Amino acid sequence: MNVIETKHLTYSYPGADKPTLKDVTVNIEKGDFLAIVGNNGCGKSTFCKTLNGLIPQFIGGDFKGSVKACELDTRTADVADLARKVGYVYQDFENQIIRPTVLDDASYACLNYAMTDYKERGLKALEQCGLSGKEDDFIWQLSGGQTHLLALAGAVSLQPEVLILDEPIAQLDPKHADGIYRVLKNLNENHGKTIIVIEHHTEYIADFCKHVMLLKDGELKWVLPTEEALQQVEELQECNIFPPQVTIAAHRMKRAGGLNDNTPLPVTIEKAKDLFALKDDINTSAPLIPSDNSEAVASFRNVSVSYRTVKGEPHTVFKNLNLDINKGNKIALIGSNGAGKSTMMKLLVGLLKPGTGEVLLNGKSIKNVKPEALSRQISMVYQNPEDMFIKDSIYGDISYAMEVRNVENCMERTEELLKCFRLTELKDRDGRLLSGGQMRRASLAIGVALNPGILLLDEPTANLDIATRKEIMRTLEDMKEITETVVIATHDMQLVCEWAERIIVLYNGEVVADGNRNEIFGNPDIVNKVGIRPPEIFSLGQEINKDALCYTIDEFLDKFEGRA
Amino acid sequence: MKIGEKLSENILDKLSIDFLRNQVLKNAYGNNDTVIAGMDPRILLIWYLFFGLVPWFVSDIPFLIGCFVLVAVTTIMARVAGLVLFLFGLGVFSQTGYLLIVTLIFGGDASAIAPLLILTLKVATVSLASVTVFSGMDPDKLANGLMWYGCPERLSFSISYAYRMLPILMEEFQNILLSYRLRGNPPEHKSFIGKIKYLVYQIKIIIHSFYPLMLNTAKRSRTTVEVLEIKGYRYAAVNKNVKKIRLSCLKMSNNDLLFLAVSFLWIAVTILVSTLI
Repeated sequence: MNVIETKHLTYSYPGADKPTLKDVTVNIEKGDFLAIVGNNGCGKSTFCKTLNGLIPQFIGGDFKGSVKACELDTRTADVADLARKVGYVYQDFENQIIRPTVLDDASYACLNYAMTDYKERGLKALEQCGLSGKEDDFIWQLSGGQTHLLALAGAVSLQPEVLILDEPIAQLDPKHADGIYRVLKNLNENHGKTIIVIEHHTEYIADFCKHVMLLKDGELKWVLPTEEALQQVEELQECNIFPPQVTIAAHRMKRAGGLNDNTPLPVTIEKAKDLFALKDDINTSAPLIPSDNSEAVASFRNVSVSYRTVKGEPHTVFKNLNLDINKGNKIALIGSNGAGKSTMMKLLVGLLKPGTGEVLLNGKSIKNVKPEALSRQISMVYQNPEDMFIKDSIYGDISYAMEVRNVENCMERTEELLKCFRLTELKDRDGRLLSGGQMRRASLAIGVALNPGILLLDEPTANLDIATRKEIMRTLEDMKEITETVVIATHDMQLVCEWAERIIVLYNGEVVADGNRNEIFGNPDIVNKVGIRPPEIFSLGQEINKDALCYTIDEFLDKFEGRA
Repeated sequence: MKIGEKLSENILDKLSIDFLRNQVLKNAYGNNDTVIAGMDPRILLIWYLFFGLVPWFVSDIPFLIGCFVLVAVTTIMARVAGLVLFLFGLGVFSQTGYLLIVTLIFGGDASAIAPLLILTLKVATVSLASVTVFSGMDPDKLANGLMWYGCPERLSFSISYAYRMLPILMEEFQNILLSYRLRGNPPEHKSFIGKIKYLVYQIKIIIHSFYPLMLNTAKRSRTTVEVLEIKGYRYAAVNKNVKKIRLSCLKMSNNDLLFLAVSFLWIAVTILVSTLI
């Protein structure tokens, strides 16, 4: 039985001259777990919004063809009836939460549709989404992952047949991401829900989804079973989608003649590990980066910090923290959500003053220094680039800090930065209206405008699709030349492995490990304790040989060969 | 001069947005286990109707003192956040309190003090009654209570939604202010003129911050509007049943009746006292 049937669906947004969706005809079966993939702007979100009737009933435009969701025609059916058939979780899910407490929000839709058992339905949805015990919490007490689960519970409470999630794990650390997918799997297998996700992370598609649908420029390319779909390496890469690392590795080895032509490409570590073997003649241990003895540019001395909370005791983030950041370090700061990464950055730029202890910058305590006075020495780029745009054009934003300080050649320097970050074309646009990658580049340009010796970046690759992420990683690589000392707080382990020279691991406000990538990823105690998820290719190498430490596909292909 | 100095230091430094946000949250939701928070909003609104209106029309000092004592007790019971009490104190003082004190210092006699005392008591009583009701109850309860008395659904939705959005807005505002702090270049503020300039600079920044704040909020609300549609907000607005279900959670308990009875008794006693004097 099909829960979704679209026939020759063509749609253009009001005022757009080209259709966003072109002649899409597809059937989605009940009980499917479908991933929709495609490049940016290919119409993935638009397609999903046609399934619950938001298009064309709430958002107008030119709509041709038909969409049937659970036998209901989305053009004519009542929105209330449709909402009970198709649930939707947005990418910016925190804006989807309407009510202040957890149970209230989960049961809000049921109450609105006049269901007398709205509370029970809310409770049941919370249970299905793994939020039992949080009923009376306030939404601002929830972590990012829990907030997402709550948005999901709000949709589940109506017990729809179909659940649509737009990039469910873009903002989450791996532990929470796993949590979301486990919940979805449970809903799919034990409650018979059809799940549709828009997803860039092909590793998760390989692990959880049953089918994959590829959209390209508004047209449906194909719908294939996951294994087969992820093997279309070239076609996917053409659309800026990156198949799992193990698949790419096998694909490249096959092309180089290292694997039999008939072998199907593996999509999971489980299937890949039998295909490769370690080359005999290669030394397994990677070269260690020598420890640095350069001077400390920033240091924490016995720093303790705690936050006020709405109720009860203040929350302690750091207790007696001691740490040195040396000149020229390229540091990745890792640890789960709430481990203290952002707090550490705020302490360094002087936005937060330590309760006890002191923070030194270039040898001087910053206790009585205002943040404004530090901005030539240290600069910070927020996780959310929107908060960095305080002027109405990118140009104005980049030049602001220089202008107010009467920096010489301010105009030339701004033009130079615009060019360097490939923003010249966009310089008169408001930062908020740019695409995710452009926004991020603009925020980086703002961060380095005053040429600070130390640059702090909070999650520079979060919320980006993989292609844009690669682009930002390239920009970060280029920036190594511009800024001497850089600290990046991130969950993105590929970024950590490819970029960082020193890794600091925070766990419950303590530095539990500090070293190069071999010392961190090669230490199973730390990896398990903190819940670090190394890149897939690294795990594959480990799976085959414990001593193999390879962080990129290139390194992997150097060390391993196809098994005959 | 002292105050100018203090103000210029304080606006961005000590009285941080973070602190404000914390106080707002505390005020709205931090005290949901008090006696006042547990009461039926309908009773509290009736109670408020009395203590919010009657003191304006009565000038009898014992009666006003009685009312004041009662609302002071309820304010303590509601465990109102410190900032609100501070604002209350400041408000009463700036309205009439300073006149009362000035009159006392310069040897004003009873004939000058009495009218000022009456006015101060009136303002204080009405303010404290408002503080008890509007900050002791959580916003949702208040919204439900208002709806029961026939206020339009939109009003009650706005109240609870505003409280839901407030912390987020403040956080956003804080981040934008921080951007200004990190990139701006405030005037030197060692001298007195410098301090005045610094104060003006800070106020300017706060005003400038509103533009990005509004745009960021507008961007957020695109999703929220669609979600409200999916979650049946419009559907509920025209459906009588929804209102009935929503209000069915309002229940009167013994506590409510006891509260009314004690208030009534207390007022009766004060009236008695005032007639005896």
